[in-house]
Formats: sequence, C-alpha cells, structure tokens
Amino acid sequence: MLSFTETRVVDATTRREARHWRDGRIFRALLSEYLVLWLSLAYFLVMLPIIPAIGSRAALSNILADMLPLLAVAVGQTFVLIVAGIDLSVTAIMAMASVVGASVMSSQGGFAGGTVFAAPLGFVAMLAVGAAIGLFNGFCAARLRMPSFIVTLTGMMFFSGAAIWYTTFHTETSSIAGLPRSFVAVGQGSTLGIPNSLWPVLALVLAAHFILARTAFGQHLYAVGRNPKAAAIAGVPVARVVILAFLISGLCAAVSSALYTGRLETGTPILGERMLLDIIGAVVIGGTSLFGGRGKVVWTVFGVLFLVLLDTSLKMLGLSLFSVLAIKGTVILLAAIVDTLRVRLTGTRS
Amino acid sequence: MIISRRTFTIGAMLAAGTAGWPAFVKAQGAKTIAVLFDGLYSPFWVAGLDAIKRDLESRGFEMVQAISDQDDNRQFEQVKSMLARNVDGIIIVQTDSNAVIPAIRAANEAGVPMVHFNRPPAESDAKSVTVLADNRRITRETVQYMVDVARERGGTYKAAILIGDLGDPNAVNRRDGFFDIVDQHQDIIEVVARIPTEWNADRAFSGLTNAFQANPDINFLFTSSDFMFPQIVQVMQVAGKLHPIDSPDHVIFGGFDGDATAYKLMEDKLLDADGVQDLFYEAELAVNAIVDLQAGKEVEPVLLDPGFAITQANLEERREDMWGYHIHKAS
Repeated sequence: MLSFTETRVVDATTRREARHWRDGRIFRALLSEYLVLWLSLAYFLVMLPIIPAIGSRAALSNILADMLPLLAVAVGQTFVLIVAGIDLSVTAIMAMASVVGASVMSSQGGFAGGTVFAAPLGFVAMLAVGAAIGLFNGFCAARLRMPSFIVTLTGMMFFSGAAIWYTTFHTETSSIAGLPRSFVAVGQGSTLGIPNSLWPVLALVLAAHFILARTAFGQHLYAVGRNPKAAAIAGVPVARVVILAFLISGLCAAVSSALYTGRLETGTPILGERMLLDIIGAVVIGGTSLFGGRGKVVWTVFGVLFLVLLDTSLKMLGLSLFSVLAIKGTVILLAAIVDTLRVRLTGTRS
Repeated sequence: MIISRRTFTIGAMLAAGTAGWPAFVKAQGAKTIAVLFDGLYSPFWVAGLDAIKRDLESRGFEMVQAISDQDDNRQFEQVKSMLARNVDGIIIVQTDSNAVIPAIRAANEAGVPMVHFNRPPAESDAKSVTVLADNRRITRETVQYMVDVARERGGTYKAAILIGDLGDPNAVNRRDGFFDIVDQHQDIIEVVARIPTEWNADRAFSGLTNAFQANPDINFLFTSSDFMFPQIVQVMQVAGKLHPIDSPDHVIFGGFDGDATAYKLMEDKLLDADGVQDLFYEAELAVNAIVDLQAGKEVEPVLLDPGFAITQANLEERREDMWGYHIHKAS
C-alpha cells in the first residue's frame, strides 16, 4: 500500500500525463485538416431536428448554389493570404466587373449587345477588369512595398465609387439589365439538379489546388508567406510571386462576379458590397493563416461550406439581421483566435 | 457497470437532443408568410413591417421575417431559403427592381405567391403582384401646392430636389412628378440642384450642404422621402434657412411619405406640404393579395394606393388619414 506522500506523487504524475495527453489531443485537433469539415457535419446534424427543412433537397441545392460563387472569390483570397497579404478590394472588383461586363453584353445598349459574341466578350471584359485591378494591387504591394491593407482598402473605395459612376453612363436606373440568357444560365441555371456554376468553379478549384500543391510557384507562395527575406535569399522572385498572387485574386473575383451577375441577371455596382467579411471569414475559418505561409484550397472549401451552412440555417430560422451578423462575426472571430493558437502551438513545438 | 464521464456526457447530449425534438417541431396547420424587407432605414419601413405583422397575426398567419441590408444577392438567397422552408407566401421589398426578377421566377417555379410592398419590380415575364402608391400623381399634387404658394408669395425661386435611389421606381416617379409641375412654371422656378441621395441620409446631408454653399439663395426645396428630414433640417438650420411659413425668408418646403417627422414639421409651420402614402391601406392590400393568391383567385398585377397631399391648407381635416400623425400621437 502506498504512503500518503507516494500517493500524492502518483496522483500528480497521473494528472501531468493526462494533461499532456489532452494537450496533444487538443493540439492534433486544432491542426487537423478536417476540423472544419467535421464541425460542418456536426452543425448540420444539430440543426436538422431544429430546422428539418434544411435536410431537404431544395435546401441542400441552395447551399451548394450559394457556396459556389463565394468559393470562387475565396480561392483567390487564399492565394493572397498565403503570401501574408490581404485583398480588401475583391468586392469592388466584383462590382466593377459586374457593370463593365453588363455594359458590354446587355441587350439594352450594350457595346456587343444582341450579337452572338455578347456573352463571351462580356465575360472577357470582366476578367480584364479583375486582372487589371489585381495587377495594380500586386504592383503597389510588391514593387512600391506599400502595405496591402492600405492599397486594397483604398482600391475598394475608389473602384466602388467608379462602378457607380460607370453605371450612370449606361442607364438611368442603378443597374444594367438585359443580359444574354447564355450568360445568365451559367450563374443561375441547373442541369439535372446540378447548378451550372459548379463546373467553372470546380475547374477553378482544381487548378488552384494544382498550382499550390504541385508547382514551384506554389512552393514559392508558401516560402514568401513564411519568410520573404529568407525566400529572397533562396532565389525566390518575391515581387513576382506577390504580384501574381494578387493577379489571381483579381481574376477569381471576376469569375465570382460573373456568377453572381448571372444569378441576379443584372450588372449592379453594389454587387458584393456587404460580402467582404464572408469572403475573408470563410478563408480564415477554413484554416488559412492570416499570418501567411499556411493555407490550402481544400481548407477554403470547408470554410465556405461551414459559413454558408451557418448562414442558411440562420436565414431559415428567420433571425433578425443583427443576430445573423453577430453570430457570424463571433464565429469568424473564434476562427481567428484558433488561427493564433495554432501559430503559437506550432511555434512552441518547433 | 462503470460509466465513464465521456460516455455519460454523450448519452446526456443525445437524450437532450431527442427530448428537445418535439419542442422544436412547428405546429402543423398554421400558414407561414415570409416578409423580406431590404432594410428598416426609415420610419416608413419600420411602420410598414409592423402593420403587415399585425395584419398577418390577426388573420392567424405565422410570420417569418428577414432583412437583406440592401444586398440583392442576400435577398435572393433569403427567398430561396424561404422557398426551401415551404412558406405559403412572400411579401417582399427589394432594393433593385431588376435584380429581384430571378427571385420572382424562383417563387413562380415553386408555386409560392409573391407580393411586392411599395416597390414594383422591373417589367419581365415573371409573375407577381405589386402594391404601391401612385408616387408620380401624389408628388404632382404636393409640388402643385408648393408652386401655388410660390405664385401667391410672388418673386422667383431657385429650387433643389433630393432624389432617391434611381434603382427604385418610386424614386424615379417622385422625381418625374416634381419635374412634371416645375417644368410648367419655369417663369418663376429654376431648378439649380438635383441632389442624388441613393436613399442614404449621410449623402443627403452632404449633398444639400454642398447645394446651399453653391446656391445660397435656394428657396424652394423638395425631398423624395421624409426620412431625410432630420438631416435636411440640420443643414437648413446651419445655413440659416429654416424659417416658418409666415416669415419672408421661408423656404418653400415639401416632402413625401407622411411620417411623424413630417407631421411635426407641418404642425410647427416649417413644412408646406407632404405627399402621403396610406401605409396601413397598403399593408392591408398586400396581405389581402397574398390570401387571394393562395386561394387561387386572380389578382390585379398592380394594386394602387391613391394617396394624397397633406398641406397647411388641409392639415386639420386630413391628418387622421396620415399614418405619421398616428405614430406622432402614440409617442
């Protein structure tokens, strides 16, 4: 039989081991690639008895359709966050691309309106807007060494206003309608119950995953995000990598804009105005670090899934807008805290 | 049998979830109407939502509401969510008349009736019913009174108009109603400022401030919505332009909506005339339309609220018909 002192020593040892074991489990859980996916499934199962309709085919189809355009722009944001930057101008890119594209393809006075080239030219115009603004952001951040926060914040202000101003040249109302059915069908239509927007977004996601996981450029992105000085010493073209990250973000925002514009059948200069928190929040919830050097496209997919699932459930509950914003803000804040804890834990472990 | 803490916790959570299930299942039989507004940024919308809610509840409907915060895409997603929830009808206030069309089509496909409250959609093949005020006619009546006052006072006038969001047909019609009358009296009235507000009070404030700085002798002012009155009054006070109607420096002043602030300004003899929408009548029309559409009856695509202009001349006799007067009385 153990003495009192020996018992206390054994108890303390047991508690230390248990704590160590728990810390390890917590550590592994925080670093798990599939944490957000499991959270999404758990949340869905919890909400199912509360809102049975969320399990209906219509609701699940809505969740998928709502995910896709958000995922497109979030993928682009992932690239920028990996290089430790941030792109706050994505919503303005979406708005600008929306009205420029609509002004090209609208049957109500569009530059190519009524022709067979209307939709493709309109889409190309949208991509051109996204690429131009993305390149501008990247140039300012990489070559002029301006903080990406300021560059893209001012870009957001400027291009949001420019989108409204541009619209006034094309319509007396505040949006440009008369878009070709072929364009609208991509953002809005479905075939055999599968949204048409799934295919371009799937292509985008696969291409982004390939770039990050399988190319030298992808490795360069992570290197620049972790330590740009060390990356430069190692021969990584840091400025070019940063510029390309912002270019990709701009292009992804343009693709997202095309899908939203098709969905609403309207080029609107306020497209995405209230969406910035959702875009960045989805990427952060997925696990991409705000500090750079860490992120994956599949994580962003999980993050978008969770955010859209949360949003849909709150909509179906009929909660007030204030409640919805407060809840979503809290979730994103928690994700940011987890991100910080991850960085701290990995720093401690290494 | 020894039960570990983890096992007990999991078991308790499952039990709680199962026991709680019946508490969360909605009562069958009650019909649900989704009321989707784009914002509650003026007393008109707050009172409108309240009027619709009371009317629906008095008829035994359940109401579920959502606000889109002027985000067209968000509202489209809200419509889809409500359709997935199998609501029995939708009353909607959209931000953009074009961007709402896909939402109408979605409701048509689902066989759910949709009624637009106070704002019509753009023309399309999608089917819905709109309840709205005859904005152009009411504005004409209001501005005509203002012009009659101007004629009576004599002299010439520099006019300013605060215009709403031109994606909203109401704003377009009120602007057109203003110019329908003013353009006929160009001998005494010159419009020197067309202030775009996008239905934003801050823009109204800055736009009107700039207008008074550029044209200090503006003496004829019309606002397309009463919700901008607090900002307008503030600007006029700072510019030294807020004088009662019996003052020689009075700026002939008119508005549109008929809210409580408008009534107070009229009572204080600062406002000459205000176009009034019969909010309670419009709410009743909207709910009637939903009920009739659900019953399979044909409903006119546009249900018009004729409204009227309340002026200093008819204030006493018409104020009971002004929804803002009732809110003013209750406060």
